[in-house]
Amino acid sequence: MDEVNMAAANAAPARVGDGAEFVWLEVLGRHRDVITRQRITSKAITVGRAYDNDIVLDDPHVAAHHLRIARGDDGAWTATDLGSVNGVFVEGDRARRQHIVLDGATTLQLGHTGLRLRRSTQEVAPELPVLRSVPRWPLALVCIGAVLALEWLGLWLGETGEPKLIRYLTPLLSVAAVITVWTTVWGLLSRVFTGQARLGVHLLIISAGVLAFSLYQQITEFGAFALSWTALSSSVYVIGWLIFAAVCFAHLRALGPSRLPLKAGAVLALAALGITMQHLKLSEWRSTYGQAATLQRLQPPSLRVVAAQAQTAFFANDAALQAALDKSRNEEPADGDGPGEMGGDD
Amino acid sequence: MRNQRYGGGLRCASLLAGVFASSVVWAQALQPQPPATASTTTAPMSAAAEGIYAATRPSLLQVRTLVEAAGRQSSIGSGFLVSADGLAITNYHVVSQYVLEPKTYRLEFARPDGTHGALTLLAIDIANDLAVVRLDGTDLPHLEFDPAAVAGDLPRGERVYAMGNPLDLGFTIVEGTYNGLVERSYNERVHFTGAINPGMSGGPGVTAAGKVAGINVAKRLDGELVSFLVPARKAAALLERARKDSPLTLAQARDEIDHQLLAWQDGFYHALEEKGFRATRFGPYQAPESAADWFNCWARTNAEQTPKPRAQMDSSSCNSQSSLFIAEDIESGRSELTHAYVRSVDLNAFQFTAFLSQYYASASMARSWSRKRLTQPECHEDFVAPADAATAPVLRAVWCARAYRDFAGLYDIALTTVTQDRDKEALVSRLALQGVSYENGLSLAKRFMGEITWTK
Repeated sequence: MDEVNMAAANAAPARVGDGAEFVWLEVLGRHRDVITRQRITSKAITVGRAYDNDIVLDDPHVAAHHLRIARGDDGAWTATDLGSVNGVFVEGDRARRQHIVLDGATTLQLGHTGLRLRRSTQEVAPELPVLRSVPRWPLALVCIGAVLALEWLGLWLGETGEPKLIRYLTPLLSVAAVITVWTTVWGLLSRVFTGQARLGVHLLIISAGVLAFSLYQQITEFGAFALSWTALSSSVYVIGWLIFAAVCFAHLRALGPSRLPLKAGAVLALAALGITMQHLKLSEWRSTYGQAATLQRLQPPSLRVVAAQAQTAFFANDAALQAALDKSRNEEPADGDGPGEMGGDD
Repeated sequence: MRNQRYGGGLRCASLLAGVFASSVVWAQALQPQPPATASTTTAPMSAAAEGIYAATRPSLLQVRTLVEAAGRQSSIGSGFLVSADGLAITNYHVVSQYVLEPKTYRLEFARPDGTHGALTLLAIDIANDLAVVRLDGTDLPHLEFDPAAVAGDLPRGERVYAMGNPLDLGFTIVEGTYNGLVERSYNERVHFTGAINPGMSGGPGVTAAGKVAGINVAKRLDGELVSFLVPARKAAALLERARKDSPLTLAQARDEIDHQLLAWQDGFYHALEEKGFRATRFGPYQAPESAADWFNCWARTNAEQTPKPRAQMDSSSCNSQSSLFIAEDIESGRSELTHAYVRSVDLNAFQFTAFLSQYYASASMARSWSRKRLTQPECHEDFVAPADAATAPVLRAVWCARAYRDFAGLYDIALTTVTQDRDKEALVSRLALQGVSYENGLSLAKRFMGEITWTK
């Protein structure tokens, strides 16, 4: 691509018009990257698929003689449709145009090709410094190490039978596999959209995410017991999905800083969908098997933080459940025939 | 074979020796056992049975529950006529489908002479698994109750002949022995040593004189010829009630079942309360076990497991063996008290609580769950301080309850507690009550929790 640009630039060394200002015509591909850039030396040029045009386009949706671009006496450049089937549009506008006055910002659309006129006075973005960032993978490895340590600690604390090596190797393998696949996918996406894989950054993001979830899970297991707060551990999936969304957002941000609100919205929507789905699945499972959410894991008594209730208070709370049960008794069960079936005329 | 149901499926209990209690229940010896006397039968056995069969057969019925839409039988049982104007006795569980879903099912009888027709329901007795039905007719052959059996004086060893239509194969007679009331059972049932098979439910067990001594109701699957009859006097009492009262309409049936279940559980739990609890020792703890003799208790240990368990668990589970059949997918009346004393062998404090969690986390009652019959459980859990901190430990307790959809005022309730005073030792206790009023459940649970103490 560089070569084409160079060739185009070299082919037109002379200046146009008053000499102070000259223009470039840029041909944009389907993905709006510049395919070729040509300096315009005459007052009018034609664009089309035929070889007698000044600029020849290979787009099959472009007419043989599609467009004429000419400089008026006032110095303004105007594009005129030469009678094509597909017409000429200003990008972002659905109305077909016969004449279009071009400024530096207008992109024309012919078939699937874009055309843009750039004046020599066009401002360009400031030079970007080459990033010589510190490598991210050491920190990522520390995170992975911490995740494994947490998993192993959890396994060991929950070990009630003979310790088996295979149980301790499983998390090593699964964590490694998940992180590798995930990092590779984001690396590929990154490569496609930004040209750089940035594997280190993506590795760090997913490792930090997994570590955050692991930590949260362990903390809630203790917290649910210590505070006698069952919901803390039974709603771990909510935080899990939020962490997942945050990880996806961080990956998307690493892909490029544009459209951040849109990206944030998308990942939040994803998290909301995930939480809703899991909630529905869980409540469906509970109603199918008649299970209530209770504490799943006891901890040593010394970890208790809250004060114990008096027996009278405990049973007063139990007694209060009767109203809720009587209410759900009167609701139809989710399937099958309930009391309503009874009818009872005979 | 599996898609057929005989008499709602004869209710059966299985009880593996040495394994935690069985799933069902039978009778209790409320009265002194009659003294055993010699059988009065003098005729040769086969001749006697022949005569009884010939005399009794015309009074027998096959009771069929038909699917209204298909007109085919969905379950079968037996019954017998007890009056010339068509009153007949059968088991409640034979007619339960019809009682609970009268729009889906209808009831029909078939007599040995091939005649058949519709049956009308008159009365039910849930606690004794009995029903009185009526068929149209006059001057019908019928059976009478044995006066000695009604009075409870029938001697053990007396020959009794169970009759009915097993597996839809035709009316048969089975010779067996009357063995008095089942001991250590809250519900009264006669222990009959003879082969009762599915489809014979509701048929009569008659004496050599051709009089009804009991009604076939169930057998044990884990024994040989261990069968049960409902005592004749329960049937006589229900018949009396059916004659006096206006017939039970199907619209009232569920309310009537509800009413009977509530009355039954009131009686049961008051009797339980009255019998009291004895404090049983579990390591450093003391926990209540019922002093009532109708509880069947089994101990279990994991001590001899291989590989050697890293925490030792010794448990004792007492089951009231008093289930009442309501429908194929729901029963009531059972209560269970379990205590498991667990101590670490070489687990650390965290691993030990992981071991305990297996028993604690199952607290939310998955047992015999039916979405159609029961609501979702509601649970409440917390740490509970003892009334007197010097005599009892802090407990982690979870209370779960679910309501019977069809029967107001009835609940399944389970209370599980874990002692919270030691790192490597604990007592896990559970009280599980089936088909209990909330009030009785709360009162028993309070008592149960209050009696978990230290021995020192």
